[in-house]
Amino acid sequence: MNGPGLFERVNVPAVRERLRRSRGLERVGLAVVTLVTLALLVVMFFYPVGVVFAESLVVDGRPTVAVITAILTDEFFFGVFATALSDPWVLVESFPDYRLGLFGFTAYQALLSTVASVALGVPGAWVLARWEFPGRQTVGSLTILPFVMPSIMVAIGFVATFGENGVVNGFLRTLGLPTLELLYTLEVIVLAHAFYNAPLVARVTAAAWEGVSADATETARTLGASPLRAFRDVTLPQLLPAVLTGALLTFIFSFMSFAIVLALGGLRYATVEVWVYHSVQQLDYGTATGLAVLEIVVSLSLTYAYLQYEARQRASRTGRPAPRRDLLGGLTADRVAVGAYAAVAVLVFVLPMASMVLASVTGPDGVTLRNYAFLVERQAEAYDFQVKPLTAVRNSLVFGAGTLVVAVPIGVLLGVVSTRRFRGRKVLDALAMAPFAVSGIVVGLGLLRGLVFGFEAFGWRVTVAGPVAIVAAHAVGAYPFVTRNVAPALAGIDDALVESARVLGATRTRALLDVELPLVVPGIVAGMAFAFAISIGEFDSTVILATGTNSYTMPVAIERFLGRRLGPATAMGSVLLVVTGASFVVIDRLGGRRGFDG
Amino acid sequence: MADLALADVHKTFGDTVALDGVSLDVASGEFFTLVGPSGCGKTTTLRTIAGLEPPTAGTVSFDGRDVTGLAPEDRDVGVVFQNYALFPHMSVAENVAYGLRFTDPPDGQTVDERVTELLELVDLAGMGERDPDQLSGGQQQRVALARALAPAPSVLLLDEPMSALDARLRETLRRQVKRIQSELGVTTVYVTHDQAEALAVSDRVAVMHEGRVEQVGRPREIYERPATRFVASFVGENTLFDGTVTDAGDGTVTVDVDGTTFRVTGDATPGEPVTVCVRPTALVVEGDANRFTVTVDTAEFLGETTRYYADWDDRTVVFRTPDPDLSGEITLGFDPDEARLI
Repeated sequence: MNGPGLFERVNVPAVRERLRRSRGLERVGLAVVTLVTLALLVVMFFYPVGVVFAESLVVDGRPTVAVITAILTDEFFFGVFATALSDPWVLVESFPDYRLGLFGFTAYQALLSTVASVALGVPGAWVLARWEFPGRQTVGSLTILPFVMPSIMVAIGFVATFGENGVVNGFLRTLGLPTLELLYTLEVIVLAHAFYNAPLVARVTAAAWEGVSADATETARTLGASPLRAFRDVTLPQLLPAVLTGALLTFIFSFMSFAIVLALGGLRYATVEVWVYHSVQQLDYGTATGLAVLEIVVSLSLTYAYLQYEARQRASRTGRPAPRRDLLGGLTADRVAVGAYAAVAVLVFVLPMASMVLASVTGPDGVTLRNYAFLVERQAEAYDFQVKPLTAVRNSLVFGAGTLVVAVPIGVLLGVVSTRRFRGRKVLDALAMAPFAVSGIVVGLGLLRGLVFGFEAFGWRVTVAGPVAIVAAHAVGAYPFVTRNVAPALAGIDDALVESARVLGATRTRALLDVELPLVVPGIVAGMAFAFAISIGEFDSTVILATGTNSYTMPVAIERFLGRRLGPATAMGSVLLVVTGASFVVIDRLGGRRGFDG
Repeated sequence: MADLALADVHKTFGDTVALDGVSLDVASGEFFTLVGPSGCGKTTTLRTIAGLEPPTAGTVSFDGRDVTGLAPEDRDVGVVFQNYALFPHMSVAENVAYGLRFTDPPDGQTVDERVTELLELVDLAGMGERDPDQLSGGQQQRVALARALAPAPSVLLLDEPMSALDARLRETLRRQVKRIQSELGVTTVYVTHDQAEALAVSDRVAVMHEGRVEQVGRPREIYERPATRFVASFVGENTLFDGTVTDAGDGTVTVDVDGTTFRVTGDATPGEPVTVCVRPTALVVEGDANRFTVTVDTAEFLGETTRYYADWDDRTVVFRTPDPDLSGEITLGFDPDEARLI
């Protein structure tokens, strides 16, 4: 084996020369693909959002702030603050009975939702981080579920629970008590937002709690601090940043929430999002785009604040975590507290989904499959202008598949790009994550005005079909989740692996294909499950783009059934729950948890 | 095989200077070691040779050909990293074969033949189907070596490849690497922070410190004739006495070290500040010349000898002697020929 020929090279220069030529394309490949992707994002996202800006800031070909000013000084939108622009004194005069206006109310309900989510989420974090009990890990991973839960499905769960004929009133009736009017109240909106966001708060807070080193608290104890004092001086300061992160995200999500407010509040409790939708329905595009611009300004500022805040935190995971206490054991005050919290959690988180499934299989005469049968029969009998259930299912699946085709390559590519070092990467990162900060309603509005209504290009009028626009909207909402699943996995790969491939002769692109991507396949699959679940559940932009067409999806169909046909709506909601649940299992098994732990 | 040259290579990371003018010449087929404490720039030097770290200034050339601008995949080098960096999603054989995707195996061999040959070379015949995580640390290290050698690189680069292994295994593997290297005659650059390892395996050694090469030489030269104070302190546990030359002539220098006079063979000018460097075995209990009295502080029993750390005027003096039972005050001395002036 140590023959002299072992290291004789076979015509090395020729082999290398041949390789070098074939590598030219590979070298520029990534740059080209990135440019194509960016162009696609411009068409799918930045151009439509730009159209929204243009329509509210350019009237008759001239730039103007008239539309924005009109909204800013309208009491309907800004309440007392609109008057205060010209007469600040009014703020003092009418203190504290302010008329909030649409924007004020939107912020107010977001604030209440944030308080409720923190109040419900932080005890959850305590239970998850400090107690050991059967099923703890499952409960912990369930906290990611809201990310993939269709908002309209949550809404219908709340209708099935708190509606006139809902589970709560049914229970009261059985007891012979008067029924309650719970729907169309601010409380139920806030509760639904807490359903959505408290798990998020619990998740980020529990992660921080688990990161608090036991050595630190024990040192505090040996130095003379009481358990409570050690908590206040050592643990709490490490939790607060996480709680604030969760709170800020909750505020942003609640500020931009649409389907829940529409379904549970109606126009009486309209928020900015609902009013944009309402204006679109009224064909009042001026108000719609003006409001959208102001909302983007607010949501971008909040998101920027969030990112700045998040960037300043670096959770140090050094040190030994404190051991969890066993939940099963003698009855103590804190075990009772855990039990009480569990009861509340079941009421808030489990009851709405259980009620929905229950309502879908019950009728006036007990258990029935009538609601599911309706979905099939309706398909045969419905008039063309009516919603056909199976068409909605088919559309949802087709759009879901389309979203995968578009969002996964984009998401993976941006994940790859975001782990590379190059000038301007931060700008690209920010641009790539921008859809997080723009609501579905605004994206839908932009796509409608920009692409579906058409635009002039090189003398041709280009219009994009509704279904294509819907897939674009879904892909825009989904690809950041693909990126967030892939990028951390890529970043976790040891540089030496890529370098080994390089010195063995692979170009950077080959190293990516041969080494990095195979290692992040679980992340990619988790990203695909996210993308699919988000597409299946997307309501905000779909409802705008599907208006008056046959491109409605399951969530849109649910909203249309919701008014008069609660049974079929819950049946369809249950179908959505199954699809979402399946996606969740994939995400959970394949490490989708990464990247969301604050 | 190729010879390898670095000419005045500089590398800065932001404000940090990692390499501050490194020049090296490695002969074809040589086993060349870069040794130094962590942060001295030895790994950066190796990465610069591999093309993984473009130098801020200076050139790298193989066989006189400037490769400074060449991408790592075009350099024809093999690298073994500290943590081996085996591709976890590929079998052992696939790992070894990876480099053969980009170049043909030598001698008109098939890829399979080449992989088998390399696995035999590192004593891992028949392990090709295993996954890397089924192997022990030492086995993984040998797979990494086989993978680096499979494309028959002109230069083999080893970046602290033993540091994750226990002491006994290190010695075995060190011998195996040395044997394979001399069989193949591949030009090898080896990075380690362990001076004993460097002296044991290398044809020549470069001692690095703060981004510079302090001394290059054969192991024995480095050990016996350290050129700088740093090399003297880093290699071989020398005791260093800083003093001033009071008299010189006839090949003998008299040095005053805080009132004690030492006579050392060498050349210097009176008034010059110098360092007298004495190896632990040159210090003899009750020696004839250059006597001074120390207090034994700690003793380390090494088997054949015992290493003593002793205190002399707040200086630590290290000496080795077969007697394992010394304690208290001891008078030491050293032969003027056995010390070195720096």
